Amino acid sequence: MNFLAIGTEIAIALLMLIVLAADLLLPKDVSHRRIGVISMVGLAVILVYTFGQYHIGASPTFFGGLFFVDNYALFFKQLFIIGMLFTILFSLEYTEKLLRYRGEFYVLLLSALLGMCVMASANDFITTFVGLELMTVSFYILVGARMTSEDSSEAAVKYLIVGAASTAVMLYGMSLVYGAAGSLVFSEVCRNIHLFYAAGLAGVIMVIIGFFFKLSVIPFHMWAPDVYQGAPTPVTALLAMGSKAAGIAVFMRILYTAFPILGNFWLPLLAGFAALCMIGGNIMAIRQTDIKRMLAYSSIAQAGYMMVGMAAADLAGMKAVLFYAMLYVFANLGAFAVLTVIDTERGGTSRRDITGLAQAAPLLAAVMTISLLSMAGIPPTAGFAGKLYLFTAVVERGYLWLAFVGFVMSMISVYYYLMVAKAMYRDLTPEEAEYAAPVYVPLTVRAAVLVSVFATLGLGICPEWLASLTNAAVQTFMR
Amino acid sequence: MNDLILSLHRLIDMGMTMAEELGTPEIILAAVFYVFAGISVLGALGVVLGRNIVHSALCLTASFIGIGCLYIFLSADFLGAVQFLVYGGAVAILIVMAIMLTRREDMAHSNPSRSIPHQLAALVVAGMFLLAMAAVALMSPFQTAPADIGDTVTGIADLMLTKYVLPFEIVAVLLLIAMIGAIILAKGVDES
Amino acid sequence: MFSDFMLTHAWLIPLLPALAFLWIGFFTRLHKKRSAAIAITMSSLSFLLACGVTWAVLSGPITMETPFVQKTLWFEIGSVRIFMGSLVDPLTAMMLMVVTMVSLLVQIYSVGYMAHDPGAGRFFAFLSLFAASMLGLVIAVNFAQLYVFWELVGLCSYLLIGFYYDKVSAREAAKKAFITTRIGDFGLLLGILLLQITFGTLDFQELKVLVPAYIWISGTSFMTIVGLLLFIGPIGKSGQFPLHVWLPDAMEGPTPVSALIHAATMVVAGVYLVGRAYFIFSALPVVMNVIAWLGGFTAFFAATIALTQRPIKRILAYSTISQLGYMMLALGVGSLTASMFHLMTHAFFKALLFLCAGAVIEAMQDEADIFKMGGLRKKMPVTFAAMTIGVLAISGLPPFAGFFSKDEILGAAAAVSTPLYLLGTLTAFLTAFYMARLLFVTFFGEASPGCPATETNAFMRWPLIVLAVLSCVSGLWGHFAGFGEWVYFGAAEETGIDWVIAGTSTVLSLVAIGLAYEIYVAKRWSAYEISQRFGVLYTLSFNKYYIDEFYTLLRRTFCDGLGRILYWIDLHVIDGIVNGLARLVGVLSTIFTFLQNGQVQRYVAVFYGGVIVLVAYSLFYAYKVLTLLGGAF
Repeated sequence: MNFLAIGTEIAIALLMLIVLAADLLLPKDVSHRRIGVISMVGLAVILVYTFGQYHIGASPTFFGGLFFVDNYALFFKQLFIIGMLFTILFSLEYTEKLLRYRGEFYVLLLSALLGMCVMASANDFITTFVGLELMTVSFYILVGARMTSEDSSEAAVKYLIVGAASTAVMLYGMSLVYGAAGSLVFSEVCRNIHLFYAAGLAGVIMVIIGFFFKLSVIPFHMWAPDVYQGAPTPVTALLAMGSKAAGIAVFMRILYTAFPILGNFWLPLLAGFAALCMIGGNIMAIRQTDIKRMLAYSSIAQAGYMMVGMAAADLAGMKAVLFYAMLYVFANLGAFAVLTVIDTERGGTSRRDITGLAQAAPLLAAVMTISLLSMAGIPPTAGFAGKLYLFTAVVERGYLWLAFVGFVMSMISVYYYLMVAKAMYRDLTPEEAEYAAPVYVPLTVRAAVLVSVFATLGLGICPEWLASLTNAAVQTFMR
Repeated sequence: MNDLILSLHRLIDMGMTMAEELGTPEIILAAVFYVFAGISVLGALGVVLGRNIVHSALCLTASFIGIGCLYIFLSADFLGAVQFLVYGGAVAILIVMAIMLTRREDMAHSNPSRSIPHQLAALVVAGMFLLAMAAVALMSPFQTAPADIGDTVTGIADLMLTKYVLPFEIVAVLLLIAMIGAIILAKGVDES
Repeated sequence: MFSDFMLTHAWLIPLLPALAFLWIGFFTRLHKKRSAAIAITMSSLSFLLACGVTWAVLSGPITMETPFVQKTLWFEIGSVRIFMGSLVDPLTAMMLMVVTMVSLLVQIYSVGYMAHDPGAGRFFAFLSLFAASMLGLVIAVNFAQLYVFWELVGLCSYLLIGFYYDKVSAREAAKKAFITTRIGDFGLLLGILLLQITFGTLDFQELKVLVPAYIWISGTSFMTIVGLLLFIGPIGKSGQFPLHVWLPDAMEGPTPVSALIHAATMVVAGVYLVGRAYFIFSALPVVMNVIAWLGGFTAFFAATIALTQRPIKRILAYSTISQLGYMMLALGVGSLTASMFHLMTHAFFKALLFLCAGAVIEAMQDEADIFKMGGLRKKMPVTFAAMTIGVLAISGLPPFAGFFSKDEILGAAAAVSTPLYLLGTLTAFLTAFYMARLLFVTFFGEASPGCPATETNAFMRWPLIVLAVLSCVSGLWGHFAGFGEWVYFGAAEETGIDWVIAGTSTVLSLVAIGLAYEIYVAKRWSAYEISQRFGVLYTLSFNKYYIDEFYTLLRRTFCDGLGRILYWIDLHVIDGIVNGLARLVGVLSTIFTFLQNGQVQRYVAVFYGGVIVLVAYSLFYAYKVLTLLGGAF
C-alpha cells in the first residue's frame, strides 16, 4: 500500500474534518471568515505539496493500479485546487452575507474537491464512480445552499433529478462494459475484444453519456442553464470550472486508456457533438440577459471547444485540452469573482445589474472584460493561445471542418461577450445615475481577480509557461 | 431474515430438483426469474403511475423486494439480505414516515399524473429505450461465469478491505457529506 | 554587476509604458492629472533604464558584432518556434535613448498642451502605448517580434492621428495613415514569410550567419526579391515616395503626437528596420541602389513641395519626409553610421521644431497658416530662440547637430555616386531656404493687430529648452565621442569632416537663408512675383505634384468601380445569406427555448431521447462490426 500516492486526498479529507470541527467550536454569531482562511491555507499547502510530486518515470499507484498518481492527474488536481482556493478567496464576503450554513459550506466545497481529485487519479470504473458521486452529491447540496432563495432550491432539486437520471445511465453503462469486458480496470478493459459487441458498445456509449451530462453537452445540457442561474454564484463558478474539468479529466483517461480500440466508434461522435455544442451553446447564449445563464450556455460552447481537442486524439490534442482547461479556470475565476461581488452588492446578476460597472468599480469591469475576451479567444489573452492549440491540433488530424466551425462560432461568441462589456462601459443616462455609485470591493476579491487577470494575460503573452507543464502531464499517454 | 432467505433457497432448490426430474431446468429457471423481475418492474410502474402517494410508496417496497429476490436467485445472498433489510425495511419505512410528516388531509390525489400527451411521450421514450436495450441484449453473446461463488459475505468483505479499500473509504466520506447535507437542508432557514 | 543587471532587465523598458497604458486605460482614464503623472513616471523610469543600458553598452564588451541577446520561447506551433526577448547592441541602445527621451519630453509637453482637453487621459494612455510599441520594436530579437510591434505602432498612430475623432478630417487622416502604411506592411509581411520559408528562422543573429552563406551559394537573385519586399515596409512607414502621402495629413492629430510620430516613434521605425536588417540589404547591390535613389529622390522631391506650403505643420511634415530621404540615402550608399547619426540628431531637432510649432499654434489659437502669423519674436522669445536653433540645426549650420550628421551623409554619398551627392547638396540648399522662410514669416515682420499670442507655460517651455540644448550639442558630441566607432556596420567608421563638402553645403545653406531673408523680411523681391514667374512649377509644388489627386483618381476608377460590383453582390447575395442565417438563428433559438421550459420532466425526457439516439447509433455500429466480421468470434 502506497500511502504517498493518496497523500493529497488524505490531506484534503483531513482538512475537511478540521474545518468541520472548527465550525463546531466556533460560536454561531461570529464571522466565519476564519474558517475560510483555514481552508485556504490548507489548500495552499496542499497545492505546494503537489508541485513536488511531478516526476519522470514510473508513477506511484495505489492498489495494483486502481489509483494512479501520474503527472496528468497531478495537473488536474492542481487545477481543481487552484480553482477551489481562489473561489473561496473571492467568496468569503458572499458566504458571510448570504449563506445560512457557512461552516458546512466550506466542508462541502472541500468534499467536492476530494471527489474531483479522486476522479483525476481513478484508474477503474468503481473508483471513478465513487469519486464522481462524492463530487456530485456535494454539488447537489451546494447548489441548494442559499436557503433563502427559491431559485437555489429549485435548481438543487432539478440538478438532483436530472443528475440521478444520468447516474443511472452511467452505472448501467458501466455494468454493461463489465459484462462485455469482464473487468473494471481501464487497462484491462481495453484489451477485451468483446467490447465490439452490442453490449460493450452500448455500455461505452452510456458511460460517455454520463460524462456528456457532466460536460453539459447538448442534448444532455438541459439542467445547466437553470442550475447555473439558481446556484449561489461561487458554486456556479465551481460547476463551470471544477466539475467540468473533473469530467474532462476522467473522460479523457477513459477514452484513451479503456476504449482506445473503439476509436473509430467514438471519434466521430466526439467531433459531431463538439460541433453541436459550439453551435448550439453560442447561439443560445446570444439571447440571454442574465449573465450567469449566459455563462452557462457559453460553458456548453466551451465544452465543445475542449472536445475539439479530444477529437484530435493525439498528444497535441490532449495538451491543448489541458491548456484550455487551465486557462478556462482563470477566465472563470475572473468573471465569477466579479459576478459574486455584483450578486452580493446589487442582488442579482442580470445585464442590468452590471450597468455602469466601469464607473462603480473600474477594476471589476476591466477584469470582467479581459476574462470574457479570454473566453472568446481574443489575443493577447490566454484564450487565443488555447484555441490556437486546439484548432491546430485538430486540423493536423484532418478535421478541418471542425476547426472551421469552431472559428466561426468563436467569432459569433464575441458578440454576446461584448454585449456584457458594452453594458459595463456605456455612458449612463441620467435616470441610471445610481449605478455609478462606487461598489464595495473586498481586498480578497481584488487579490483573486488580479491573480486571474495576470494569469490570463501572462499565459496569453507567453503560453510556453503552461505548455511545459502540460507536456509533462501528457507523458503518461506516450506509449 | 435468515429464515426467509433459507426458505427462498429451499424453494428454488425444490424447483430445480423438480425441473431436473422433468428434464427442463431452463424453463423453470426462466419462469422464476420472470416472476421476480415482473414484481420489481410492475412495482416500479406502480410508483410512477399511482395516484395516491402512499400507494406509490408501497409499490416501491414491492419493487425493492423483487430486486432482493433477484439477488438471491443469482446466489448473491448477502446482497439480497441487505436489499430486504435496508431497502425493503428501513428505506420504505422512512419514506412512509416522510409522507406522513407532510400532513395532508386526503391522500387520494397526492401524486398527480400529467396530461395524456405527456404520458404518451413518456411511454414512447420508455418503450424505445426498452426496445433499444432489448436489441442490445439480443445482439451480444454474454460471457457466463460459474454459478457457484461460495460464501458471498467473505467475498465482499475481502474485496472491500483489500482491492477496493479506497472506494470503500471514499464512500464513507460520501455518507458523511450526505448526512451533513441532509441535516442542513432539513434544518432550513426558519430556525432563527 | 550593474551593467549585467541593466542588460538583463532591458525588457522592462517597453514594459513600463505598456503598464502605464493598461493602468490609465482601465483605471485613471477619467483623471487627467493622475493619468499624466502615471505616464510620465513610467516614461522617466524607462528613460533611466535606457540610460543604464546605454552605460552598460558603452562600458561593457558589447559591440555591433557581439550584442547581448536574451530570449524566451514565446510559442511553438509544430516545428516553428517563435521567441521573444531583447537584443541590445549599440544601435539598440542609441534608439532606446532617443525614443525614451523624446517621448518623455513630449509627454511633459503634453501636460501643458492638453490641459484643457477632456480626453487627456485617453491621450496619455495612447502616448504610452505608442512609446511602448516603438521600444518593443527596437529591442526585438527577430522579425516576428518586430512585426508585431511594427503593427502596434501603426495602430497607435491611427488612434492618435484620429484623436479628435469628431473631426472628419482627423478621421480621414487616421484612416489614410493606417491604410497607406498597411500597404507597405503587406510587402514587409511577405518578405518576412519568405525569410521564414527559406531559412526556417526569423532570428536576427541566426539570419546574420545564414543570409551571407545563402547568397554565396545561390546568388542574389532570390534575395533581391526578398529585400525589395522587406523594403516596401519602410517605404510605407518612413514616408518614402510614393507612399509618403499619409505623413503630411498626419498633422491632424494633436501637435505632440506629430512631434512623436515625426521624431521618434513612427517614421524612424522604417529606417531602423533597414538598419537592423542591414546584413540582408547591404549584401544586395540592386536593393541598395533602389534605397539610395529612392531616398535621394524623396529628399529632393519633398523639399520642393515644402517650398510653397503655407500651414506650419505641413511644411515641417514635408521636411521630415525630406530628412527621412536623407537617412535612406545614407543607408543606400552604405553608411549605417551616417544614417543613424542623422536619425538621432533629427529626432532632437524635429521634435523641437514640432513642439515649437505646437506652441505657436496654441498661442495663435489654432491658426496654422504661417502667413497669418508674424512678429511673434517679441511675444514668444523662448519659443523663438528654440525655433531658431531648430532651424539652424536642420539647415546644417555649424556647430548645430544637423551640420555633423548631414555632412556625414553627403560625404558618404560623394564617395559612392556624384549625382546622388549633388542631389543631396541641392536638397540641403532647399531645406535651408524653406526652413528660413518658415522662421522669418512666422516670427519676423509685424504682428497683426489683436494677436493673442503669449509665451507658453512651464510644462511646454522646459521640454523646448532641453531639446534646444540637445540640438546644439548632440552633433558635437557624436562627432567627438566617436559615434562611428559605436554604431557601424562592417568596419568601424572614422568620424572626420570632409571640409570641401562641409564647406560647400554650409555656404549654400547660408546663401539660402540669406535669400529667404531678402525675400521675406527685407522684401527685396516679391514672393508673389517669383511664384508667378515659375507658374507651372509653383502650382505643381503647391499642389504637391497632384499625387493625392492621382491616388483619388486611381481609387475612383478601380476601387470604386470594383466596389460597386462587389456592393451589388453584397446586397443581393451575401446579405441574402446573412439574413437567412440570422433568421435560422432566430428559429433555432425559438426551438431551444421551447424545449427549455423549466420543467424537469421535459429535461429528463430530452435526456433519455439523447440516450436512445446514441444507443441506436451503437447498435448500428455493432451491426456493422458483425457484418464486417461475418459472425466471427
